[in-house]
Amino acid sequence: MLLTPDFDTRPVISFQHVFKTYPTGTEALRDVNLVVPEGDFVFLVGPSGAGKSTLVRLLIREEKPTKGKIFVDGMELSRMKRRQLPYYRRKVGLVFQDFKLLPNLTIYENVAFALRVLGEPDRLVRSRVADALETVSLSGKENTYPSNLSGGEQQRVAIARALVHAPRFIIADEPTGNLDPATAWEIMQLFLRINARGATVVMATHNREIVDLLRRRVVAIDAGQVARDDRSGRYHDDVEKPQVRAQ
Amino acid sequence: MLRNLKFALNSAWQSFWRNLAVSLAAVVSITLILILAGVNLLVGHALSQVLDGFRVKVSSISINVADDTPLQSVYDMQQQLKSDPRVVSVKFVTKDEALAQFKADPNNIVFAQQIDGNPLDAKLEVRVAKLSDVAEIDTLARRWPGVDPTDPTNYQGDFVNRMLQLSAWLGIAGVGLMAVLVVVSIVIVMNTIRTAVYHRRKEIEVMKLVGATEWFVRGPFVLEGIMTGLIAASIALALLVVAYPPAVDRFRADIAFIPLSYDPAFVVSLARDLLVGGALLGALGSYIGVRRYVRI
Repeated sequence: MLLTPDFDTRPVISFQHVFKTYPTGTEALRDVNLVVPEGDFVFLVGPSGAGKSTLVRLLIREEKPTKGKIFVDGMELSRMKRRQLPYYRRKVGLVFQDFKLLPNLTIYENVAFALRVLGEPDRLVRSRVADALETVSLSGKENTYPSNLSGGEQQRVAIARALVHAPRFIIADEPTGNLDPATAWEIMQLFLRINARGATVVMATHNREIVDLLRRRVVAIDAGQVARDDRSGRYHDDVEKPQVRAQ
Repeated sequence: MLRNLKFALNSAWQSFWRNLAVSLAAVVSITLILILAGVNLLVGHALSQVLDGFRVKVSSISINVADDTPLQSVYDMQQQLKSDPRVVSVKFVTKDEALAQFKADPNNIVFAQQIDGNPLDAKLEVRVAKLSDVAEIDTLARRWPGVDPTDPTNYQGDFVNRMLQLSAWLGIAGVGLMAVLVVVSIVIVMNTIRTAVYHRRKEIEVMKLVGATEWFVRGPFVLEGIMTGLIAASIALALLVVAYPPAVDRFRADIAFIPLSYDPAFVVSLARDLLVGGALLGALGSYIGVRRYVRI
């Protein structure tokens, strides 16, 4: 069964009967079908171990599906050659719960890193990094090291790095997981702004308040399957799972 | 391309200093290996010099001419030998010259006073290009009717064969030792650099996630490896250059019968070998060491 809402816009991400079984035998995903149109904002929700992170890892091609196909922007990820992978990842902006900043590089260098990899000229790097840091309200902290920033600020640096090369997709894995509610909310505002500019955002999250407040598309994963796909959803399906709401 | 190279050089330089402890460990291990390799090269060179000296001596053969041999026959033989491609030079030494040479040798002073007349043979002194051909020239000489049948030549077959064997064994031993050193050093350097890379796996992960190509990730590590190798080679070279002359003096004093000598010209080729070897070792060690983490 395809639990996919009908969208008018072109699909940019498409999971077709995707299965993922790890070598240990753990069945992380079972027959996942999912279509994400361009410019969409999708929350992936579900309990820990449900398969959200596996789905994210498949999307950034850290893992390959055991069965099924994943298309991103017309490319089938599992058929992509190793040497093509860097070029695919340059289209994607990635944000993680643990920020993945390089501690021995300054804020400026961390953000510039995504452009250095592309071999962009210094002048362009300078102006793009300045823009990205301004977007995340960190102008003036260019020469600071990550260890001197708060968690929220570090995540803003990670977001600046994810968007500095103007990617078409942002994939975020628990980006607010380590942040207090107020900071989490600030970070979400950033993602909404990036999405408003046209980038497709796929975000795995446990943050119930934010999901419920924003009422965006919610794809619930449970036991490796898409349990629910609501166009304007909430964190829990109140009718089907009252016991979860009671917790 | 140039920008990537600049970035790689910059990263390599920064990373060398930021991870100084691990970098120094790599420098020390490569230095020790290169010192061993350098000593091997120096000893090999010294031995080959000694062997070359012996080789020149034993690759000359004297054909003793019988007293009644007509001069024309000697000239014919001299011509025949000269036209032989295996022969470098042929010199005819008359009986008088042979006596003069004998008397000129200070070791023969007492003998020379007791000599009555000239008992020495005239001789053809033949220099052969390859030591292995001396035996054939000796056979050729012995078949010549003009040779002194009681004492045809001064060829010492056993000694030459032993020389040939020794030189072959020393060559094999040198190559073998060098091969072992190369393998051991690559393993040591690879593991040292793998430790350095392990400390920076997070950086590599981030590089890969933002879309760095394998070579973009590898480049700085390989350059850092080359830098480490060159620094180590310079240290090893400096130590060897300082230690080489006194070591030769000491050796000469202790083992006088082996004519070891100091060869300043060899220092240049040693420098080239060590620097190229160090750079290659560092580059190869880094390339292999970083491989596991770079693969996407």
